[in-house]
Amino acid sequence: MTMQKILVVDDEKSISSYLQRKLSNLGYTVYTAEDGEKALELAFSHFPHLVLLDVKLPRLDGYEVCRRLKADERTRKTPVLMLSARAQQAEIQRGLEAGADRYLCKPMSFPDILKQIQSFENRESAGEDTGRDFRFD
Amino acid sequence: MGRKSGPEGLRFGILPKMIVSFLVVSIIPLIILGYVASKNLEKVGFEAVHSAESMGQGSLQAAEQLGAMAIKDSVQALDEKSTEAIELRTVELAQRIADFLVERDKDILHLASVRPNPSWYLQIYESARRDVIVPASPRRQEDPGPPKEPQVDWGNPDNKTSWRHNPPYSFNRVSRPLYREITFVDLAGQEQIKVADGQISSDLKNIRETANTHCKAEEYFPRLGDLKEGEVYVSRVVGAYVEGWLTKTEEGIQVTTESAYAGKENPLGRRFEGIIRWATPVFSEDGRKLGYVTAALDHTHVMEFTDHVVPTEERFAEHSDGGTGNYAFLWDDQDQCISHARDFFICGYDPETGQPVPGWLSQETYDAYQASGLPLGELVANRPPFEDFRIEKNGSREQMAAGRIPLDCRVLDMAPQCEGWHRGTEDGGSGSFLIFWSGLWKLTTYAAVPYYTGIYGASRRGFGYVTIGANVDDFHKAANITKAYIEKGISDQSLNIQEAIDKAKQSIEANARRNRGMMLAITLIAAVLIIGVSIAISYTITLPLRHLTDVALAMSQGHLDQNIRVSSRDETGRLAIAFNQMASAVAEVDRMKSEFVTTASHELRTPIHSMLLGVSGVLSGYAGPVSDEVRQDLLVVEEGIERLRRLVDNLLDLSRMESRKTELSLTDVSVEEIIDTALTEMTDLIASHGHQVRKAIGSQIPVLKGDHDRLVQVLVNLLSNSIKYTPDQGRIVVSAEQRNGRVVLAVADNGYGIPEWAQQRVFERFFQADQIMAQKVGGSGLGLTISKWIVEQHGGIITCESPLPELKYPDFPVGGERRGTVFFVELPLNRGT
Repeated sequence: MTMQKILVVDDEKSISSYLQRKLSNLGYTVYTAEDGEKALELAFSHFPHLVLLDVKLPRLDGYEVCRRLKADERTRKTPVLMLSARAQQAEIQRGLEAGADRYLCKPMSFPDILKQIQSFENRESAGEDTGRDFRFD
Repeated sequence: MGRKSGPEGLRFGILPKMIVSFLVVSIIPLIILGYVASKNLEKVGFEAVHSAESMGQGSLQAAEQLGAMAIKDSVQALDEKSTEAIELRTVELAQRIADFLVERDKDILHLASVRPNPSWYLQIYESARRDVIVPASPRRQEDPGPPKEPQVDWGNPDNKTSWRHNPPYSFNRVSRPLYREITFVDLAGQEQIKVADGQISSDLKNIRETANTHCKAEEYFPRLGDLKEGEVYVSRVVGAYVEGWLTKTEEGIQVTTESAYAGKENPLGRRFEGIIRWATPVFSEDGRKLGYVTAALDHTHVMEFTDHVVPTEERFAEHSDGGTGNYAFLWDDQDQCISHARDFFICGYDPETGQPVPGWLSQETYDAYQASGLPLGELVANRPPFEDFRIEKNGSREQMAAGRIPLDCRVLDMAPQCEGWHRGTEDGGSGSFLIFWSGLWKLTTYAAVPYYTGIYGASRRGFGYVTIGANVDDFHKAANITKAYIEKGISDQSLNIQEAIDKAKQSIEANARRNRGMMLAITLIAAVLIIGVSIAISYTITLPLRHLTDVALAMSQGHLDQNIRVSSRDETGRLAIAFNQMASAVAEVDRMKSEFVTTASHELRTPIHSMLLGVSGVLSGYAGPVSDEVRQDLLVVEEGIERLRRLVDNLLDLSRMESRKTELSLTDVSVEEIIDTALTEMTDLIASHGHQVRKAIGSQIPVLKGDHDRLVQVLVNLLSNSIKYTPDQGRIVVSAEQRNGRVVLAVADNGYGIPEWAQQRVFERFFQADQIMAQKVGGSGLGLTISKWIVEQHGGIITCESPLPELKYPDFPVGGERRGTVFFVELPLNRGT
């Protein structure tokens, strides 16, 4: 099973568009959002397989977005990779407490990000019964 | 953290300073004040006492002088009066003796007026009597005396003033015939009638023979022939000398009991028994000289006149006392002693030979006599009278030992008073003088006895002279008693004054002591109060200060949310308010700084992230094939991004370090695992420098409690340094061992090394390696600073050593620029957090 839909949330347009381009090249369907509300809107309309979530966002920050995603039954099992320039212990802790599956610190190279995404893909393909929770278009 | 300087570091705090200064400003003046006051009081007191003392002494002296003067005056007055009285007594005594002797002239003429007749002579003998004082019994001396007669008082009060009364003397008197014998001697010297011992004697002798006379010494017969009718012959005293001995004892000169009678000194001794013979021719009715009548006066009757005279208040005594020097004595016209308290001093004759016993001489004269070879009697008889009389001379011991010491004034050359009497009586006068005799000042009076019958008419001295000796001190007695009273009074007064002064002194001293005690007590109480107050005051200062110090320390350790409760409105209160304001300002600044760092790092990381994403994507081929040239260029970019990222990370760490925020997330950490992680991370860099890296893990290294990522960071930093500061193809070893309850991690290399002076400074922030070496190697200068902080956060220490200790790393080729460095990280096994 491969992840087809990835939601990339980053207020930095250059970053989200870069990732959209590169990941699309690799065959992913990528949705991008520049603020928290948009991210939630996209998440609850497209139900991506994985969310790459920045923390510092306008309107609604990453922690809150993550919390809401994890609070909703439909998106509860969707892996959330927090990717933040905030690398302090307290922030990492806060992210994990909000329900993030992994907390990644910026800067991060593209191959590393890809590895992280693929690691979740592999976990999915390892045969865990998550079929009910993932929607395949 | 070497900045610790808590309150325990205080050397000399506010409290002791305050106590000392309070004590200095209050106790010392108090002590000085008290001391001065007490001294002054004492001084004033003592001055008062001294003036009282001198006043007392002055009045005492005045009293003493007054007393002495009074005594002197009274002594003089007494002396004069007494002298006069004694002189008068002497003159009257001499007159009485003369009168008595004149009576005897009458007796003999009366005897001559009748025809010699034994019974008539006996009648005369019996009727001519006179009392003599004879002690009833020698024991009487020890009797308490006759019962005191009732005191006779003045009766009429008008006579009360200075009433004096003496009871009559109650001496034992015995009537005694005046004459020892009455004789009638014919013209041939043969006794025709003799009345003696109360009877008519038949023992008639021819008195022309001296041997038939009294004491074989009378030579009166030749004198009788020239006597006309009515003329009277009177002899000198003739009697047997009675011996006597004076001995020196501890109580003074004493008379031995074998001696002649000596008054009180020897009342049982033999008395001197002498006679004075009167004679006158007897004529018949027709004018024919029939013979001579003689009468031998018992000399006792003459001696009676002087023997009981005492020139003191005593006036008369049964026995005179030669020892006191207060007695009367009698000398004849030839200055020979004829009556004395001590009978052995009376000149007499040796009854065996009828020769006079020679008078007592001084030792000096006696020695001269012995040298001359003359008989003593002859020497004495021929010696010029009164030659070289000196008081310093002593009586001859030989005569004393013989008990033959009659006083013959003419030769008694150790008694100059003899010369005085002799001179004084030459004109028949009387007088007195003082002489220091036998250790006593003696008043000695003299008066010629105006009896000029017969041989006694040869000089104005007459019969001889009476002398009375008086111990001056005795008639000073009253004055002396007064003197003693005055002296006692003065000494008592002086004692009283001294006592009063001593009492005053004692009381002053006691007062002073009490004052000092009070001073001490006040000082002590003041000191205690002052110390108490100091403590209280200093606590109001130091307590807030300590609190402030604690809070400041806590702040310095990163606990910035501090607020001091303000409880007072004084300086410390204001300080607390200021401190609180400062604390909140610091906290605000800190918060702003944290916010800034957070924001800045976020803002920096975002573009770095963008760059890294782009470059890494290209290098990884996600943007299509890349030429080698482009790859090389992009790798340079990537390295720059990497350095930038590290710098941002380090700055963030530094910021945390400086705000002292501990953010360790402690877990069980395997030493080997962190080494491996660090090495893995550095693999590419190591490879690019061609270093050989070895790992040496000791056996059984226990698991550490620590922050995994931070410890990896430390190792990465150290490895990164070793890699960078070791020439390519160097050697690096990462080791771990357990030592003394600690895990020691070491990263050693054979690199450029660190000079000794810089070995501490490498841990300072922004200490750049190019300060110690020529090689320019890039670095933030923060890695070791952050590593040190992380290690210390774990309770460990980090040190470095360079050059490399060769013994420990034998396989490390060093030399030249490869001096080598080793960093040690010691971590405690059990961290107490």
